[in-house]
Amino acid sequence: MKLSIENVGKRYGSQTWALRRFSLELKPGVLGLLGPNGAGKTTLMNILATITRATEGQVMWGGADVALEPNAVRAVLGYLPQDFGVYPNLSAQEFLEYLAAVKGLDALPARRRIDQLLNLVNLSDVRGRPLGGYSGGMKQRVGIAQALLNDPQLLIVDEPTAGLDPEERVRFRNLLAELGGERIVILSTHIVSDVEATATEIALIANGALVAHAPPEDLLRRVEGRVWEWVIPSADLNAVKQCYRISNTVRRSDGVHVRALTDEPPKGALPAAPTLEDAYLDSLSVYRAAGVPA
Amino acid sequence: MSRGRVLGHLVKADFLTRVRRTSFLLTLGFAVFLGYQTFAGNIVMQLDDYRGVYNSAWVGALMGVVTSTFLTLVGFYIVKGSIQRDETTRVGQILAATPMSKSFYTVAKFLGNFTVLAAMVLVMGVAALCMQLAHSEDRTLHLWTLLSPLLLFALPAMAFVAALAVLFETLPLLRGGVGNVAWFFLWTGLLVAGIGPAATRGGTVTHADDFHDFSGMPGLYGQMRGQLLEVAPQAHESFSLSIGSMKPHKRFLWTGVHWDAVLVAARLTWFGYALAAALLAALFFHRFDPARSFGPAGRSRRRNAVQERAPVVEFAAAKQLAQADPWTMRLTPLPPASGKNRFFAMVAAELRLMLQGHRWWWYAMAGALCVACVAAPLPVSRGGIILAAWIWPLLVWSPMGSRESRYATGSLIFSAPFALQRQLPAVWTAGVLVTLATGGGLLIRLLIAGDGRSVAGFLVAVCFIPSLALALGVLSGGSKFFEALYTVWWYTGAAHHIRGLDFTGTVDASSTPALYLGLTIVLLAACWMRRRTQLAYA
Repeated sequence: MKLSIENVGKRYGSQTWALRRFSLELKPGVLGLLGPNGAGKTTLMNILATITRATEGQVMWGGADVALEPNAVRAVLGYLPQDFGVYPNLSAQEFLEYLAAVKGLDALPARRRIDQLLNLVNLSDVRGRPLGGYSGGMKQRVGIAQALLNDPQLLIVDEPTAGLDPEERVRFRNLLAELGGERIVILSTHIVSDVEATATEIALIANGALVAHAPPEDLLRRVEGRVWEWVIPSADLNAVKQCYRISNTVRRSDGVHVRALTDEPPKGALPAAPTLEDAYLDSLSVYRAAGVPA
Repeated sequence: MSRGRVLGHLVKADFLTRVRRTSFLLTLGFAVFLGYQTFAGNIVMQLDDYRGVYNSAWVGALMGVVTSTFLTLVGFYIVKGSIQRDETTRVGQILAATPMSKSFYTVAKFLGNFTVLAAMVLVMGVAALCMQLAHSEDRTLHLWTLLSPLLLFALPAMAFVAALAVLFETLPLLRGGVGNVAWFFLWTGLLVAGIGPAATRGGTVTHADDFHDFSGMPGLYGQMRGQLLEVAPQAHESFSLSIGSMKPHKRFLWTGVHWDAVLVAARLTWFGYALAAALLAALFFHRFDPARSFGPAGRSRRRNAVQERAPVVEFAAAKQLAQADPWTMRLTPLPPASGKNRFFAMVAAELRLMLQGHRWWWYAMAGALCVACVAAPLPVSRGGIILAAWIWPLLVWSPMGSRESRYATGSLIFSAPFALQRQLPAVWTAGVLVTLATGGGLLIRLLIAGDGRSVAGFLVAVCFIPSLALALGVLSGGSKFFEALYTVWWYTGAAHHIRGLDFTGTVDASSTPALYLGLTIVLLAACWMRRRTQLAYA
């Protein structure tokens, strides 16, 4: 099971490139896709999910060119888009049955699978209610269930935890990590903690280009010994912001706790254990400063 | 910011949102088409066997009446949907949180609609100018004479339509497909109400007629008739505005509308009616309150609110289930698909999707019409009952092909394997089954009667109707186009059994099954091609 993205580019209109010369090779595991707004994450996922065509380059699934054989990937694909709709008059059960038919699943296993999925996403008690009355979080859970309907080998989820309450978010992250053991999961999100909890590999995207692709440990190693924390009076905050690359500030009773990325320790600062957020900010700022991948 | 400026910004935003859509070009394109048809003599206004010399007066009057009649019918469908758009784009929720009053909003929407329709009137004005110059019967341009019918006949009529579109959108029953069908009959009724009183008096028009006629036709007719009788006293009492075949053989000189104070006041009154309709709409406008939303989502929400007061035991059970932490549960791997053709499962799923949400009385009526087709005498069944049976499922057919864009489910459905090859034929088959079921009573009668030609016509119609719905849904991305076109077609062609336009194919005199079979194939091919382009990989 292998997904290869080879020099893929996507152009909108005559000049705007949302993605350019993007290459990546994926094997079973969870790939966390991180990047600022407009980086090209959704475009990449739309290409992988066969929703849109790449302007250049190739996507290969198990040796088959997706442009020539889109159904090869569609048959094993589970896709949860960032924005999706539901039919308000159908219940969750009926909506999933409809999509099971669209995906060509056999009736009996599909029915069993839907039962399991509705339990999984905690909607079995409201399975008969029309979707039009569901809250945003409930609709999102229906979206998660439909993405898992066909037991996908390739699962693409775009901002899957948006609208979920903290408890459900943690549960879903665990599920993703478990699913990643035997299939390729691509998780795009702005929530770094979601990636931190699940990803076996991370791809950072900015301006439609791949900034970094590495396991989380490698990215963390890059900022090892360069993350510092110290306390300053509130009045000094602006001056400190001018001098250092700040990754976090917290106001407490003793002043502002500042966390910064810098090679030389600021006065009175103590070394801190790097987080993925530090690594993400560092990679992006290196890329922006040099215009090249970190 | 003054209220005037706020209103200006609202109308401007609304107008810009529309003019930057491709559909606006189509709207203007339609106005150009109508202008051209008038220019080419395919739309004819005549009194007895006379038409006016193509001078500024006649061309202006012709364009004014064409706009205030035909364009008002279409214009309504073009502008209706602006409140719904605010709801779907969720801009409405932002607006609802501002101090803006409901009446302010509905008036702004009315003005937004009006600007779009006024742009169409402008196109007709340019067409009028070109028409007079191109026909060369009288090249002297009198701008006021040429354009005043557009300003005083067409614009007030357009304003009224613009406001009615807002009013329809705020009324729960009329905001959807039912409203689209109802508009055609209301429009017909408005025209008849305007012309009717003068017709019953043998063509004599009074000033009172001007006040209850929204198109301006009786006032115009009254003045034209007077001038015609001066030069041709033998001319018969008749006035027609027709498309196609009829061509007048004689000409007379028409010098233009005499705009007396009463006529001008009568025309301006329609702006007042329009404002009143827009203000009336404010009474029914729900201000984007989700609990009072009239769409299916709102209905479901209200139904769920009732269900949420269900027994406590059920809630406790649900809580227990939640505590079992289902996310830690392992999913049973799915066995490989058997490879059996799941087409009929897809058809069943599409059929359920189509029929979901209709109340019991909808099925009862459909069943009653089907039974009536069997029970009634054959001429009554094929001449009348089948018409009712095939207008009843209009709102079942109309979402075909556009449901994916309307509910934003395209990304889920189009990423499934063989989406084009499986889903589109399944939708079509489901539509055919609905048509067959609703008109099935007549089929039984025709088979018993052994009327092979009518059976063929019936079966072609069964294929044609869903093909039209599917094609227009896929091509336009909405249901409105089909709802409007089908209603007009059904009324003008099928209900009057006009040969070539009667798609039901069950009345020998008007049946043309070969034509509709060809049309069905063309429509299916067009929607297949369009859907291919909608899918990245077909």
